Amino acid sequence: MKVLKSLVKKEFLQIIRDPSSIIIAFVLPLISILIYMYGINLDSVKVRIGIKNDDANPEIATLVKSFGHSKYVNSVVYDNIRDITGGIEASKLKGAVIIPNDFSTRLSRGQSADLLIITDGSDVNTANYVQSYAMSIANQWLMSSKYKYLAQTAGITPEIRTWYNQDLNSHYFILPGSIAITMTLIGILLTALVVAREWERGTMEAILSTKVRKIDIVLGKYIPYFVLGMMSMMFNVFICVGVFRIPFRGSLVVLFGVSSLFLFTSLGIGLVISSKLKNQFLASQVSLGIGFLPALMLSGLMFPINSMPVIFQILTRILPPRYFITFIESEFMAGTVWEIVIINSIFLSVLGLILFGAVYQSTDMRLVK
Amino acid sequence: MITDMLRRVFALVKKEFITIWKDPKSRGIIIAMPLLQLFVFANAITMEVKNIDTVVIDRNNSQETRELLSRFKHSPRFRHLYVVDDEKEFKHKIDTQNVQIGIYINNDFSSSLKSNRQPVVQIISDGRQTNSASIASGYASQIVSEYISENSTLKGASINPVVRNWYNPNLEYRWYLLTILIPMLALVITILLTALSIAREREMGTFDQLIVSPLSSFEILLGKTIPPLVIAMGLTCFMTISVVVFFRVPFMGSILLFLVSIFISLLSIVGVGLFISSICSTQQQAVLGVMTFQMPAMLLSGFISPIEDMPVFWQGITWINPVRFFMTLSKGIFLKGMSVQDIIYNLIPLVIIAVITLSLAGMTFKRKLG
Amino acid sequence: MYTVEIKNLVKTFDKAKAIDNLSLNIEKGKITGLIGADGSGKTTLIRLIIGLLVGDEGEITTLGLNPVTQKEELNYKIGYMPQKFGLYEDLTVIENLRLYADLKNEPYDFDKLLEFTVLSSFQNRLAGALSGGMKQKLGLACTLIGTPDFLLLDEPSVGVDPISRRDLMKMVRDLISPQTTVLWSTAYLDEAHSFDTTIVLDKGKVIYEGKPHDLAPTAQEFENKIIDLMGGYKKEKSLIAENYIPIKTNLSCTVEADNLEKKYGDFYAVRNNSFCINRGEIFGLLGPNGAGKSTSFKMMCGLTKPGGGTARIMGIDILKDPAKARSNLGYMAQKFSLYGSLTVRQNLEFFASAYGINFLNRTKRVDEIIDVFGFGAVQNRLSEDLPLGFKQRLSMACALIHNPPILFLDEPTSGVDVVTRRDFWNHITSLAKKGVTILVTTHFMDEAEYCDRISLFYKGETIAIGTPDELKQKANANNMEETFITLIKESEL
Repeated sequence: MKVLKSLVKKEFLQIIRDPSSIIIAFVLPLISILIYMYGINLDSVKVRIGIKNDDANPEIATLVKSFGHSKYVNSVVYDNIRDITGGIEASKLKGAVIIPNDFSTRLSRGQSADLLIITDGSDVNTANYVQSYAMSIANQWLMSSKYKYLAQTAGITPEIRTWYNQDLNSHYFILPGSIAITMTLIGILLTALVVAREWERGTMEAILSTKVRKIDIVLGKYIPYFVLGMMSMMFNVFICVGVFRIPFRGSLVVLFGVSSLFLFTSLGIGLVISSKLKNQFLASQVSLGIGFLPALMLSGLMFPINSMPVIFQILTRILPPRYFITFIESEFMAGTVWEIVIINSIFLSVLGLILFGAVYQSTDMRLVK
Repeated sequence: MITDMLRRVFALVKKEFITIWKDPKSRGIIIAMPLLQLFVFANAITMEVKNIDTVVIDRNNSQETRELLSRFKHSPRFRHLYVVDDEKEFKHKIDTQNVQIGIYINNDFSSSLKSNRQPVVQIISDGRQTNSASIASGYASQIVSEYISENSTLKGASINPVVRNWYNPNLEYRWYLLTILIPMLALVITILLTALSIAREREMGTFDQLIVSPLSSFEILLGKTIPPLVIAMGLTCFMTISVVVFFRVPFMGSILLFLVSIFISLLSIVGVGLFISSICSTQQQAVLGVMTFQMPAMLLSGFISPIEDMPVFWQGITWINPVRFFMTLSKGIFLKGMSVQDIIYNLIPLVIIAVITLSLAGMTFKRKLG
Repeated sequence: MYTVEIKNLVKTFDKAKAIDNLSLNIEKGKITGLIGADGSGKTTLIRLIIGLLVGDEGEITTLGLNPVTQKEELNYKIGYMPQKFGLYEDLTVIENLRLYADLKNEPYDFDKLLEFTVLSSFQNRLAGALSGGMKQKLGLACTLIGTPDFLLLDEPSVGVDPISRRDLMKMVRDLISPQTTVLWSTAYLDEAHSFDTTIVLDKGKVIYEGKPHDLAPTAQEFENKIIDLMGGYKKEKSLIAENYIPIKTNLSCTVEADNLEKKYGDFYAVRNNSFCINRGEIFGLLGPNGAGKSTSFKMMCGLTKPGGGTARIMGIDILKDPAKARSNLGYMAQKFSLYGSLTVRQNLEFFASAYGINFLNRTKRVDEIIDVFGFGAVQNRLSEDLPLGFKQRLSMACALIHNPPILFLDEPTSGVDVVTRRDFWNHITSLAKKGVTILVTTHFMDEAEYCDRISLFYKGETIAIGTPDELKQKANANNMEETFITLIKESEL
């Protein structure tokens, strides 16, 4: 016990002396939250499109005007199809709407009228926005135009309600998720070098011939960075909830309880890297290579896991952030839902224990060469 | 004179290759990590939402609603349909994320349909899974409105969208994703290769030895730039070929211009990596420094949300982000066959970034002495 | 009674036998000196004895325990000081002591240790900011905590000045009990001569075991006997000097320090340092650890910016045209600073071409250097895996590879075995005869005799300058070690 206590104390002293771990714990989250808060905008995506009206009917001019008034669309009127083509090629326009010359005639006859929508398919997300914005503007215009009595009343989409985020503010969703991504990175970065460093500097060799047991070495690394990581987690939550007023409907006790399980797993990843490689250069390369992208892309925050091929769905099962994201989104937006808390806690604990076992296994008590 | 310089630079280049490339572990990490990520991301990631589980309350329970629900059952995107009576159970299924969306059908559904009123169908989307749930509710809403309009007795004027998606007719998400993954992973590779290069030498004390030698700052810079550039270039080309050959993404632009663009983009990232490395004195600091660059560079590249929609201040920041231009070039040349003029327009900022960061790195070599 | 009993021990690394069928007993309550050539297996043997490494064949019993299976119990009874002692450089002196006391489950009772190490007034200084000698003392203090039954010291006195070396020796002798066994690996043969027993290793085998006084009555003769045991040293013509092409110059001072000065806060690391070294002269910079020798070195070759003054190399001001000044220079740093991930040959080739030797000459030159420095067997090994002595040789070789007219050697012989040391000095003196100017530091006082002139450096200032004989006269002493100690003590007054 005394040995462990003094190893922990030593690690804390080192943390204080080298500010880089403190920067990792507090500056990195701050940068990340600022980016997700201000730099990323998923709500009011505004697309610039070109409009060409081939229908001389004055009523149709109001449709062109509707495009001009929309807050989702920045429309530019063109007379020449070549200018529109050029605009899309040069990425100045994300798409175009072309109103054919028989548009008003068909509508006035109570028929279905074609509206040509061109999108820049090289950016799939924006192309989808162009399609849906153009159609919703056109349909709205139809229901307020003089053709509304001729129009199908039905055909208007059913009401969609978004639970837990009625305001449809994407920050309420993306910020809690970003905490999970950042904490994965922090957990790995904090610990990836600390064991390798001791081997390189020769301190490990000196320690190995004292009364230190294997478990002391392992816990002596987990505990200090766990404390630092939890402080970082609290800082994250404070910035999100306290400063940026992201609604938090859950319980702080549950939040920090599950966060501690999550931190246990990500520290484990860093420590496995460090104690397996025993070399700062290689450990840095691995943590730079896997610290960020897999958590961002495969955790379910950006892309649906359910739609992945089965083999990759299984692969995501070994990614701790996957469970933490599910939990933290729910805890923030819906409050404590025990089923979600328990299921994800179980997975995190199992992963954490496996990683802990791996760290213990790869901690050498002897030199190899 | 010039041969002397070439000889010295060549010696440094050779040494760098040996340190980063000859160690099988290091080489394995550099090759395997990006390629594995390319393979996994390309195969796993899709924006199409499948296997949607739905909970339904059908208050009408009529012939019409049964028909409507059977359309869901037959849709390839929807998996399980839980029909419940109790609103509590409905809420519980959504709360516990057993389902992604909920559908509530009011008891006047069939009568409204017959009398040409808008029937009340409510679709509940789970805001905690914003991306997938909102796409899923879009699909659901499409199925419902199609059903309603087909069964409505009234036919009348309507607008029929005729959509042409240029460059990617079926809006294949994978085409888009892959052209974006190339720059993202090229960033990861280049950062891996450059971030530690100088910091490690400082920590080990070998940098002193370099400074004492007749190698000038410029020669050291050259020697430190060429190997990562060559390796990153090789891997990026390999990724590009795999994207074309294995993932069948059409390559529309000029190969030569694409190579020039990758070269300059990588050069600017090498510059940033070396600059950060040169101001750090330990590897721990370098990892931290580089991560604080890499994370924002990826998030603010236009991949997650379009640059044009950012606040002006943040748009300004993206001007110093090489990944932003690299991504525009990769996407543009690959899928659109971008014109020379547009390519040059995107290359200028990259050249400026490269020149500034590389000169700063070169200057720090000697300035950072005791 | 034996503390260690070893029977037919074998340890192989990459097919090379580091320990070759070695049998050995170490007597309880005695100080045993472990000596041997670089790479003879000293460190490996120590690590095997305490179970840090596991042997391939044979048996070891240490303090009645099996180090392979009972390492934990063994750890309770031993004190081990590795070559690169694991001080936490970002912890203070007292924090390091407390840490090791806790790790050994001993009370915080450091009065005696602090008194012996004279570290009392530096308790709150970071270990990384201590001078080399102080670090070694602190390392030894940490090892001595809890008075272990068996003390293993792996070259504790490498890079330590003569005064601190005496202190280290005194610390060990005063702080151990008569029952304590000590195994002390060293490259200083005068140290080894003063121990109870001597073990000489060669290529993983014991080639001598017995009382040092049985081998020779005096330290000097002991050294000669050991050299004979290790295969003898034949002074041959230095090939490096043979192939050296002298550079003509009319300069009287090829190396000149002009009022060099460096201040850290209020503390002068170097002050008013001026000297002029003539062409072909060997100029020795002697002084205790922390006197400012390395700082002077770094300023002279432009690695550290001087606070005041400048240095001129072949008449070129190091501040004005560093690149040109340095091209005349071969520099060997104190700390090993070559590329660990490159092999011996690759390092040599790199430095040869970095200094502009063209391809044809390069291969010839590298082969020649490999031959002269005895790298034949290790030329394709990674330099980080080399034993300390070989690393020093390689640093020296890299400094010499481009035939520089000026050599700066910062403790070139630290950690190098006695035969190689003589060989080093043979090259150094032969090069000087050919007109190479040499600035050198050393902690081996017998080596100081090779210098043409010596500057004795203490607390950042020169306290005496002159030929070895002049200094000896001044101090009224017979040998350099006494001279050194006397002059330093006098300056304290």
